[in-house]
Amino acid sequence: MTADLPVHAMERLKGLRSSAHSTGVFTSDFSVNEFLLVRKAGFEPIGLCVGSCVYHVGIQYGSWSKNQELEVLSKAMYHARELAMSRMRAEATAMGADGIVGVKLTIKRLEWDDQLLEFIAIGTGVVHGDGHKGFRAHDGGPFTSDLSGQDFWSLLHSGYRPVEMVMGSCVYHIAHRGILSGLGTVARNVELENFTSAMYEAREIAIERMQFEAAAAKAEGVVGVDIREGSYGWHTHVIEFFAIGTAVLPLAQEIAPEKIPDPIMVLSVND
Amino acid sequence: MGLFDWLRGPSPEDIARREAAEQRQAEIQSALLQGTVPAMIRSRLEGARAGRLPWVATLTPAELMIARSHGLKPIAAVAASCWLHYGWSWTEGHAQGWDAALQRLRDEARAAGANAVLDVKMRTIPLEAGNSMDFTLVGTAVHVEGLPPSSDPIVATVPALEFVKLLEADVVPTGIAIGAYYEWLLNFSINPNMTWMGNIESHQLSKLWEKVRRNAHQNLRVHARRQGNGVLSHLNFSEMFEDEVNNQKRYLARHIVVATTVDARRGTPLPHDFRFVVDIHADGTPLTGTTPHHQSYASNESEGAI
Repeated sequence: MTADLPVHAMERLKGLRSSAHSTGVFTSDFSVNEFLLVRKAGFEPIGLCVGSCVYHVGIQYGSWSKNQELEVLSKAMYHARELAMSRMRAEATAMGADGIVGVKLTIKRLEWDDQLLEFIAIGTGVVHGDGHKGFRAHDGGPFTSDLSGQDFWSLLHSGYRPVEMVMGSCVYHIAHRGILSGLGTVARNVELENFTSAMYEAREIAIERMQFEAAAAKAEGVVGVDIREGSYGWHTHVIEFFAIGTAVLPLAQEIAPEKIPDPIMVLSVND
Repeated sequence: MGLFDWLRGPSPEDIARREAAEQRQAEIQSALLQGTVPAMIRSRLEGARAGRLPWVATLTPAELMIARSHGLKPIAAVAASCWLHYGWSWTEGHAQGWDAALQRLRDEARAAGANAVLDVKMRTIPLEAGNSMDFTLVGTAVHVEGLPPSSDPIVATVPALEFVKLLEADVVPTGIAIGAYYEWLLNFSINPNMTWMGNIESHQLSKLWEKVRRNAHQNLRVHARRQGNGVLSHLNFSEMFEDEVNNQKRYLARHIVVATTVDARRGTPLPHDFRFVVDIHADGTPLTGTTPHHQSYASNESEGAI
């Protein structure tokens, strides 16, 4: 920490309020370190962007003895997330943001109705400090990313920029007992190929859909991918396979791999 | 969609979609039985390999940075599952299930033209279906620049940062080894002294545990030898049960050890200096804290971060 504080900081400490922000304030849910790293990366937060969507998820009956995708539910889960995200993005566009970092996408069940789910997307809109527009997404709107401020800085320093949060969803019904009935007394371990192939198909559909979105956003790759399974108050054999990640493109000014510095190794001597 | 659509019966598109799904299922099942990668997955992996599709990586941006500076290029997310019914043995099923998933993961890595799979996580779906469990591995297939695709891709259960650290020290993480063993103790006799004298060792149970643990570790060694010359980061899972039949107490003890196998050359020190730091972070220090990497055995005692 240097003793030579910036002029602005000194003035504020003396009690003089800056008029630098025309709107007066910015809002963000950054932690201190996130804030510092986002600014180090050349961006300034301008405001928290929120999109939400309360969605009535329809009913779909499937055959209990069958492995099958429940398309009605898949579409509902995807469409509702998409609505929440696009509303958040519209708010960012209105603010003139170049992108949204640290997007948190959450799903809540509403107590009074099993079929109502609330989808919330929330993140911090940022602008490039020098007004550089090259960070916008392929459609000229703000980029979206679920990366934290720390991850955002690291991504830029690995030679990539975020383009769009991409996702794929597949709600799947895994066949019920029945196929197990003949196995009750088998005295060896056998694979239940029926179940295994259900996992394969459902997961593959989710990954494919995510990858398709990334290709549509003209991305080179997808980083920070999480492939997870979730159940939102459905029957136990109904599982959502969900793939999510941030689609990325190389920076306009590429960083050669040999220019990336090695990290310094440290040993914490705390007990 | 109208309220009474279901009365009208399925549309031609619905029927076509259903038939396509059934065909896909049948294709996946026959591929699994033949030990090959299902066609729909193969086409995705080959698309990513040829650069027609975006690459997909489970790596964080910091890991991507290290991967790039060390010549590793992500290709695709790969995943493998085996859903096993325990007709014979729950304990040994774990060794069998993980081993099957491991083979399938390697097949996918080969189809992707990879040299290694990084960041491999062990996952289990929380779905109780009869006496069975799923064994799933998820990771990122990577290509090492300058090397031809491997015919025997390595499987590293460590994140990219640790993978690079190990490689620099001439240690190659190669796969996953499992050691599982269980045994029943049927002729348990209560030491009459134990009921009133207090402090006394229960020799029979000590012996049972010792035998089960030793054999599990022995199995681990056998399984590891096929993949490397050592193991790191054990994850231990053990349980003991008691029941009673005809006034005779019986005990079942079981132990499962899962570890990362490595191929390490002796005597190569890490080519980095360390800086000593004192972390003044208020809560648990982020320098030493690690997030759990696997969730399949989250409920039991565990050591290290395999």
